[in-house]
Amino acid sequence: MFHQTATRTLVLLIALAGLAIYATSGGYFAREIVVEIAILAILAVSLDVAAGFGGMVSLCHGAIMGIAAYAYAILTVKLGLPNLPAAVLSLAAAAIFGTLVGWITGRTTGIFFIMATLAFGQMAYTTIFKSRWLGGDDGIGSLSRFDLAWLGIDLDDSLVFALYALVLLALVYIAAAWVLRSAFGRTLSGIHANEDRMRALGVNTVIHRARALGFSALLAGVAGILAAQHTLYISPQLLFWTVSGEVLIVVILGGLGTLIGPLVGAVLFVLLKHQISDYTDHWHIVIGLILIATVLAGGRGLYGQVEHMLARRRPAPEKPAPEKPGPEKKGLSHA
Amino acid sequence: MDAGFWVLQLLNATQFSMLLFLLSVGLTVIFGLLHFVNLAHGALYMLGAYVGISVAASSGSFWAAFILAPIAVTAIGAVLYVTLIDRLRGAGPMNQVLVTFGLIFVFLDVVRLLWGDVALSLTAPKSLSGAAEILGVSYPAYRLFIIGLGAVVMASLWLVLSRTQIGAMIRASVENEAMAAALGINVGRLFFSVFCLGCALAGLAGVAAAPIVSATTGMGISILIPTLIVVVIGGLGSLQGAILGSFIVGFIETFGAVLLPGFAAVLIYVLLAAVLVLRPEGLLPARG
Amino acid sequence: MLEVRSLCKSFGGIRVTRDVSFRLQPGERRVILGPNGAGKTTLFNLLAGVLPPTSGDILLEGQSITALPVAERAKKGLSRSYQKNNLFEDLTVRENLMLAATAGQRKSAWMIRDSFQDPDVRETVAEVAEQVALTDLLDAPVRSASYGNRRQLEVGLALATRPRILLMDEPTSGVGPSMIEGFHKLLHGLPKALTVLIIEHDMDLAFDVADRITVLNFGEVVFEGTPEETRGNTVVRDIYLGDWQADA
Repeated sequence: MFHQTATRTLVLLIALAGLAIYATSGGYFAREIVVEIAILAILAVSLDVAAGFGGMVSLCHGAIMGIAAYAYAILTVKLGLPNLPAAVLSLAAAAIFGTLVGWITGRTTGIFFIMATLAFGQMAYTTIFKSRWLGGDDGIGSLSRFDLAWLGIDLDDSLVFALYALVLLALVYIAAAWVLRSAFGRTLSGIHANEDRMRALGVNTVIHRARALGFSALLAGVAGILAAQHTLYISPQLLFWTVSGEVLIVVILGGLGTLIGPLVGAVLFVLLKHQISDYTDHWHIVIGLILIATVLAGGRGLYGQVEHMLARRRPAPEKPAPEKPGPEKKGLSHA
Repeated sequence: MDAGFWVLQLLNATQFSMLLFLLSVGLTVIFGLLHFVNLAHGALYMLGAYVGISVAASSGSFWAAFILAPIAVTAIGAVLYVTLIDRLRGAGPMNQVLVTFGLIFVFLDVVRLLWGDVALSLTAPKSLSGAAEILGVSYPAYRLFIIGLGAVVMASLWLVLSRTQIGAMIRASVENEAMAAALGINVGRLFFSVFCLGCALAGLAGVAAAPIVSATTGMGISILIPTLIVVVIGGLGSLQGAILGSFIVGFIETFGAVLLPGFAAVLIYVLLAAVLVLRPEGLLPARG
Repeated sequence: MLEVRSLCKSFGGIRVTRDVSFRLQPGERRVILGPNGAGKTTLFNLLAGVLPPTSGDILLEGQSITALPVAERAKKGLSRSYQKNNLFEDLTVRENLMLAATAGQRKSAWMIRDSFQDPDVRETVAEVAEQVALTDLLDAPVRSASYGNRRQLEVGLALATRPRILLMDEPTSGVGPSMIEGFHKLLHGLPKALTVLIIEHDMDLAFDVADRITVLNFGEVVFEGTPEETRGNTVVRDIYLGDWQADA
């Protein structure tokens, strides 16, 4: 069950402040990196809502992000809608796609769920890739950012855009944390822990999970719109399954089910990628080995491991009651 | 589009199906027997192609490559099994997906380091470089060879699985691992052998495909998805399922590209999603 | 209140539930007895909706619920506890009860508000904790709770949805004699309006709480009557005596 602990809030504030300072003091390249981090972090936070708290290890979050980006491009470039309502509709499109995938796959679990999300993601990818109207492999260009001149904000300025990306990241984190702390989020964790019991308590677990994937997709949609506004050009590569795989890696490296961990993971992932790329263009091997090591080390991820160590150092607040020996032992090994 | 055109498509579809079969049969038996999801199976296929190209280049013989590449890939698979796969067997699908996804990354860069980013090709042996007349169509002899190779592997696996003791052991273990162990089957050794066999077939598929598709660093990832689809559609752990699945995917991809360009690629995912939702055990499941 | 009409269930060719019929009055305490393998838990799974019956009908206040899935039956006020603890192991006792009370009050879909701060939910949790004698342990993690306390929580989860009918599958299963007394109290403390159906192996407890007793054997109802009638019935004695003494 989710708890927004003081440590997590502190890490969030430090990360946001650090990135803001980096964008402000750094040049154009630093701002590009900050935006890249924000996009990946939003996607990772959204995936953590589904995978970490709902147990839905999705391999279609890249596709969901891409659907929002394409919806934004279609509505603005092809249909001439103003940017702001187009963005709202694009988020809705992502959320609907996520809810549908969640509903259709509602009874599949484990590897079948992973494969099913892969199938739906690739379906979206191939559809767009093959569509001549959507530019196929070439994608869609000449997108534009929000016109916030009435607020005195110019999003075409690279620093302003980087800060705007960080604001979106903060909003997505707050929305995710808020919903995870709500009755809905707590019930989602309950379903993840013990679906059978949750059903017996009167919760339609299939619909609940579908809604959760829809909410997660809504957040992923924010990453999609940000990505579209960032490069002002989108291509089907955004939807390819390896993008989803990479986001899953970020979530795992940061700490599945901690919400802040994936954000930290995104920061480190992007920085590491650029750092390693300075020395060699073989950064995949480094990430691959780190990933394997992380999973073999227990899969808690960086932030998860830190939290785990902090929790162990602190004395337990409750004294565990003595276990009763005897036949009852059998019932204990449930989880 | 005359009759010859359709015969050509038929042969192309069969050849692609056979290649998919070589890859998916190993994956599906590993899946069914070890309950292990190996996303790196495509990477092993890629390694088969690259090792084969190097062996052929240094020895000057395609057939040396044809023999040695699967052996080399098997050796890599054996190391993987001992270091990673065995300890991840009970670790749940997410961890398996993650670690083997990590392996994809590692192998990708290993290949780039050793062989570079340029696409490499392997020349078919002289004896198979010509064309053969079949059903009134002239068709590359090497592609016919792949069809034959697939048929031979298919028949031998079927014989092994249905007629030999080791085949009976594999079938028993797929159906009920605990029972198989209780019957005195050394499940650990069986798993190891089956995993190595799967790797050997992936390596074989790689070197066999190299003269047709030429080797690139992306080949492992691009073949992985159709292979996974074959496995899931057919039913995890089922030889008949792998055969049926390979032909379904091979034919839909080939004929779809001709008849319904644009839609065929989507069709295969629709089929996968439909099977997963309506019949998650696959079309020809291994378990009763 | 709850009526079962000619309920049958077969697995393959084996008939596990044979033409079971009975009717519970509102507020009734009904105990189901029967030797091991008599089909008691199967009957519960049919009532809760985990298994579909082969034939027959289940009615809740005159309306058929036979076709409804588990969650829908729960929403209609049918709640169950399990023979084997089926809890949220990583949470505290309070969080367990909160989740159940949230579901019972149909607040699980709130995306903005936290039901754990909701006064009604908190009140229910406090009441249920009192009923199952876990008030002092509310903030203890389930993992570290004793087996007996976990049995109490098992009933507590079922009660926290504020059901109208409570199905209890061997609430004292595995509980030592020292804690049985607590379950006598717990069962007597249940709201009078609540209809309760209990599978119970502990004879003293069964005869203590039951208004009526139904005896199953080989999936069939072989006897139904008051505790007094049950005690005196020779058929029941014949079927049950061995098991009875072994268990008590």
